[in-house]
Amino acid sequence: MATAKTAPAHPPELRRAVTAWGSFSWGYSDVGADIFVGLGLVLAAAAGATNVAFLFAGIVYVCIGLAYTELAAAYPFAGGGPYFVLRGLGDIFGFIAGWAVLLDFTIDITLFAWSCVDYSSQLLPSLVGSSHPWIHFGAVLSLIVALCALNVIGVRESTAFNGVVAALDIVSETSILCFGFLFAFAPRILIHTMATAWPSPYQLMLGTSLAIISFVGLESISQAAQETYRPASIIPRTSTSLILTILIFALSYSNLALGMQPWHPIVGPHGQHLAFWQIFPNNPDNQGKAVALLAAQVPYWGALAAFYVPVLGAILLLISSNSGVFGSSRIAYSMSRLDLLPSVFQRVHPRFRTPAVSLVAFCGLAVVTLVFASLPSLFPGAVAFYRDVLHGEGGLDFLADLYAFGAATSYSFVFLALIALRLVDPYTPRKFKIPLNAPVRFRGEKTSIPVLGIVGFFGIFSILVFTLMTHPIGRIAGPLWLAAGVVLYFVYRRHRGLPFLRSHPRNWRQHQIDILRTSGDLELLDQYTAALKAADERAAERA
Amino acid sequence: MNPDATVHPHIVGAAIAIALFAMIAATFWWMLHPPSSFVERQAKKAASELERMVGSIIVLFTPEIVSSHMMALAAKLARGERSELLALYVIEMPYTLPPDAEMPLEERAALDALGAAETIAKNNGISVRTEIVKARSTKQAVLDIAKRERANLLVVGDHREGRYLGAPLSRTIEEIAADAKCDVLIGVEGKHGTLLVGEAADDQTPHT
Repeated sequence: MATAKTAPAHPPELRRAVTAWGSFSWGYSDVGADIFVGLGLVLAAAAGATNVAFLFAGIVYVCIGLAYTELAAAYPFAGGGPYFVLRGLGDIFGFIAGWAVLLDFTIDITLFAWSCVDYSSQLLPSLVGSSHPWIHFGAVLSLIVALCALNVIGVRESTAFNGVVAALDIVSETSILCFGFLFAFAPRILIHTMATAWPSPYQLMLGTSLAIISFVGLESISQAAQETYRPASIIPRTSTSLILTILIFALSYSNLALGMQPWHPIVGPHGQHLAFWQIFPNNPDNQGKAVALLAAQVPYWGALAAFYVPVLGAILLLISSNSGVFGSSRIAYSMSRLDLLPSVFQRVHPRFRTPAVSLVAFCGLAVVTLVFASLPSLFPGAVAFYRDVLHGEGGLDFLADLYAFGAATSYSFVFLALIALRLVDPYTPRKFKIPLNAPVRFRGEKTSIPVLGIVGFFGIFSILVFTLMTHPIGRIAGPLWLAAGVVLYFVYRRHRGLPFLRSHPRNWRQHQIDILRTSGDLELLDQYTAALKAADERAAERA
Repeated sequence: MNPDATVHPHIVGAAIAIALFAMIAATFWWMLHPPSSFVERQAKKAASELERMVGSIIVLFTPEIVSSHMMALAAKLARGERSELLALYVIEMPYTLPPDAEMPLEERAALDALGAAETIAKNNGISVRTEIVKARSTKQAVLDIAKRERANLLVVGDHREGRYLGAPLSRTIEEIAADAKCDVLIGVEGKHGTLLVGEAADDQTPHT
C-alpha cells in the first residue's frame, strides 16, 4: 500500500527572543553612535545655532521615530523602511526607499569606521588624520576589511555585548552631561555665543542637514521587529525610549557645548582664549572626536572621562560600523526576497552559510567611498581638484553628505508609506498610533490621516532640500546613486518578466495573519481577522 | 590637573542636570516595565499558585495504593519549591479486629514503602518525614492528617488492582479527591495501565 506523503513543513521562522532591552540596545548601538560623529560636524557648520539645528532636526526625528514606531509595531517583519514603503506605495517606491537605505548603510560602514579611528587618535596620536593620513587611511581600511571578513565567516557580535556597551555608554553620557551642566554650564555664555556666533542662513541649513545624521538608525529597531517578543507591546516602548534618549542627549550636548566654561583654558594659535565650540571650525581632526573633547573639559569627571570616553566611543562606533555591514546585506537579502533586487544577493556561502556576495559587494562600495573621501589628504595634488570642482568637500564631510542624503530620502518615503497604509490598510490593529489624527473616510472605510506624519514629511523633505542645496557632492552623488539603482531595477524586472512600474501581486492579508500569528499578541490576530470579516461583509452589502 | 581650572556651578545648570537625570531614569523605567500580556498574566498566576499549592506536601501510600512513582515527582517538586514533605502510610484496620491489632505483613510493606520514599528524598537532596497510621477509614485518616499538617497538596498514586481492571482510581482515591480541602495530585502509572495496552493494540490494527 502506498503511503501518503507528508505535508511540507512550514519554512523555519525567526524565533522571537529579543527582549525590551535587547531591542533598545540593538537600536542604540546604531543611533547612539551618531552623536559621536554629528556633534563636531554641526558645531563646525552651525556655530552659535548648533542647538537650533539639533532642535529642528530633533523635531523631525521625533516625527520619524513615531512613524517608525507605529509601522514596526503594526508590521513586525524584518524589512524595515523598504518593506513599509513596498506595502504602502508599491514595488518601485519600495525599491527606491530600500536603495536609499542601502546607500546609508554603505556610508555607515565607512563613516563610523573613520570616526572610530578618530576617537582612537585621542589616545594614539599616530592615528591623527591630518598629520598621518596614510596611517589613518590604513586603519580605516583595515577595520572595514576586518568587519567584512568577520561577517563573511559568520562571527556574530553578541547581543549581550551590545547590551553591555549600550548600558555603559548611557551611564557614561548621562554622567558627562550631568557633571557638565552642574559644574561647567554658564547660561550667559550660551546666550553670548548664540548672539555673537549666529551663522548665515546657508550655514544654518548646512548644520541642520548635518544634524539629521545624529538621528539616523531607527531602521535597526524595525529590522529587529521580527525577532522581538510581543512586538506590538514592546517596540512602541523601546522605540519611544530610544527617540527620547537620543533627543535628550543631542539637545544637551549642543547646549552644553555652546554654553560651556571649559575646565582647562583652551588657547588658540595666536595665544587667545577660545570658547569650546571654536575648536571645531576648519579642524577635521577635532570634528571627528567631539564627544571625547567635550568629556575631557567636564570638571572632575573629565579627569576620568578623558581616558575612557575615546575607548567607549571607539567601541560604540565600531559596533555601529558593523551594523552597517550586516544591515546592508540584510536589507539587500530582504529586497531580493521581495523581487526588488537580483537573487544573487540571497546567495549564501556554501561553507560559512552567510550572504557573502552582499557583504563583499557593499563593503567594496564602502572602500570606494573611503578612497574618495581620503584622496585630498593622501595626495595633496588632488586638493585643488576637490576645492575647485567639488567645493572643498572631502573626508568626513563627503561621507556625511551622502549619509544625510540617503537618510532624508528614505525617511521621506516612510512618511508617505505611513499615510498610504493608513488609507489602504485600516484593518491592521495599531496598538501604537502616531498622535494627532484627522478622521477621514476612504473607499467607504473609516480611517484617519496622521497630521504629524504630514508635518514630519515636510520637515524631512525640507532637510532633503537643504542637503541638495548645501552639499555639493551630496546633490550629485546621491541622485546618481538612485538613478543607477533604478536602472538596475528595470534591468532586473525585465529579466524576470515582472512589471516595471506596477507592483507584483501579493496576498498581504495572509501575510499579515502569518506575522500576527507568530508575534505573541494573539489578541491582535483576533482583532485583525474580525476587522477583515466585517470589511468583507460591508463590501458585499455595497456590491 | 590644570591649576588654572575653575569651576562655576550655576543654579540653572544644576536644575538641568537634575532634570536630565530624572528624564533618563524615568524613560528607562517606563521602557523596562511594559504591560503584561494575557498569557503572561496567566503564567504568573499559575506560578504563584504553584508556590501556594506545594508549601506542604503529603504523599499517600496504602497496601492498595501504589505511590512510589509519585514520590519521585513529589521530591522534585518539594526540592524546587522548598516544601515540607511527609510520606504517609495508612493501614486500614478491618472492623473484625481491634484498632491496635498487629498487622505484620502490612507493617513490613509500610516499612519497605517508606524506606524507599526516604531513599528517593535523599537522592533528591531533601528530607522527608514518615508516618505509619492505622485507621478504620483510609479516607478519614488522610483528611485528618492533611488538616493537622495544614497540607497544601496530597499526592496519590493509583490503585494496585484497578490498574489491570481498567479502573486505576479506586473508591478511596475518588473520595479523598472529592472531600480533601487541599489540592490532590493523582498519578496513574502508564506502563502497566490497561489504557496503554488498549492503545498499543489499536496501533497494531491494520488500517483498511
